[in-house]
Amino acid sequence: MRVTVDKLAKAFGFLWALRDLNLDLAAGECVALLGPNGAGKTTLLKLLGGLITPTTGAIRFDNATFSRGVPELRARIGLLAPADHLYENLTAKENLHFFTQLYNRNSVAPTLDAALEQVGLLQRGGDYVANLSSGMKCRLSIAKWLLLQPELLLVDEPYGVLDGSGVDLLESFLKQQCARGGIIIMASHHVSRVLSLCNRAVILSHGRLTFDEAKQRPWPSFDKAFSEFLPHGGS
Amino acid sequence: MTLLTQAFLLLWKDTLLELRRRDSLLTMFFFGILLLFVFNFAFDLAPDRIAEMAPGLLWLAFLFTGTLGLAQLFQAERENHNLDALLLSPLDGGALFLAKATFNLMLMVLVEIVVIPLFWILFNLRLWNLLPQVFLVTLLGTIGFCVLGTLMSALTLRARARELLLPLVLFPLMIPVILATIRCMEEVLRTGQFGDQIGWLRLLLGFDVIFLTAGVLIFDWVIES
Repeated sequence: MRVTVDKLAKAFGFLWALRDLNLDLAAGECVALLGPNGAGKTTLLKLLGGLITPTTGAIRFDNATFSRGVPELRARIGLLAPADHLYENLTAKENLHFFTQLYNRNSVAPTLDAALEQVGLLQRGGDYVANLSSGMKCRLSIAKWLLLQPELLLVDEPYGVLDGSGVDLLESFLKQQCARGGIIIMASHHVSRVLSLCNRAVILSHGRLTFDEAKQRPWPSFDKAFSEFLPHGGS
Repeated sequence: MTLLTQAFLLLWKDTLLELRRRDSLLTMFFFGILLLFVFNFAFDLAPDRIAEMAPGLLWLAFLFTGTLGLAQLFQAERENHNLDALLLSPLDGGALFLAKATFNLMLMVLVEIVVIPLFWILFNLRLWNLLPQVFLVTLLGTIGFCVLGTLMSALTLRARARELLLPLVLFPLMIPVILATIRCMEEVLRTGQFGDQIGWLRLLLGFDVIFLTAGVLIFDWVIES
């Protein structure tokens, strides 16, 4: 899969949340999406997920222009938002069953159990999501995307709710996704952690792309951009 | 996955959630029954005025209880950004529309199964043999209400005062359905058959078919905007 973002812009009323954004993402890339609050990170993730439509510009998946009207393309995109996108009054297992059915994936009980076991929730499979902690909900989201296997996975600030083993679980899942040719775009304020995982960094500031490079060691250009655009940056 | 399979899956999910929360159904039941008692205290229906008054009172009760149900229709989708999860998935908007309209129809029919006989008992109506015709008209009207109501409920989903806005948008558009059901029901209660009011019944059918088709076709656009 190849994702091309061409002169993408999004305005909310008179406010431009994103302007003239160009990106080219190849299979297996893991991209850190960085920027201060209000830089346009979430807007970009929503545009890539088809949750909002661009004001101008286009997104292409393997040269096919992306629009919400193509369900086959939507089935290839995932959005891992910790503790979100789960029905509180369904059990963990029912949530997995519902979403795997919706995506036309294997939804037999042993497959769901295997995914729950992988994220350490097998014993809690029958519990309502409302009774799970935020960290457990995030683990359940990981199990969901483990089963749905999207080719482009958008990850929105995943570290806040996970404990140490949860972070290890998430990172090993994301590495697996990249290894099998998936593309990851991860928005986070935990800069050092996200950079250790990703092989490319993109910095947005005031809706514009201000930095886009593959990871290097040492990385003076990133350090310069980091101090310029993320003056109060994360850990 | 076909449109109907997706709709069935969503309907399964909504039914399961309702069975566990019982928010909508219980509220609708109690409100519907409460309205009947209020009507019963307020109006003393003489036997010669039954055909004239009963349809209007019944539909008033259905409109208010139905609006309560519609206000809760997308509650599960509002929690945890679940609407985004559905929009992100390969789900056809038409399937979401069908599932939501059917779910609301199920709730309303359950309420009507209790409310209509209770109305007969409270107002001491002796026309029990006319209940099947009354139910048929009510069902056609309820389909129209649910179909249009689901569309309007989705349109006002992101509005700030959606609970206030929904009836303001919905009720004027419901006038053809209300008029048709009341005229048909009145004729049934008066003569025991649809007689020359069959045109209203056709209008009801036409309304249901047009808005059901329109809903399936445009719901993707409605829910996105």
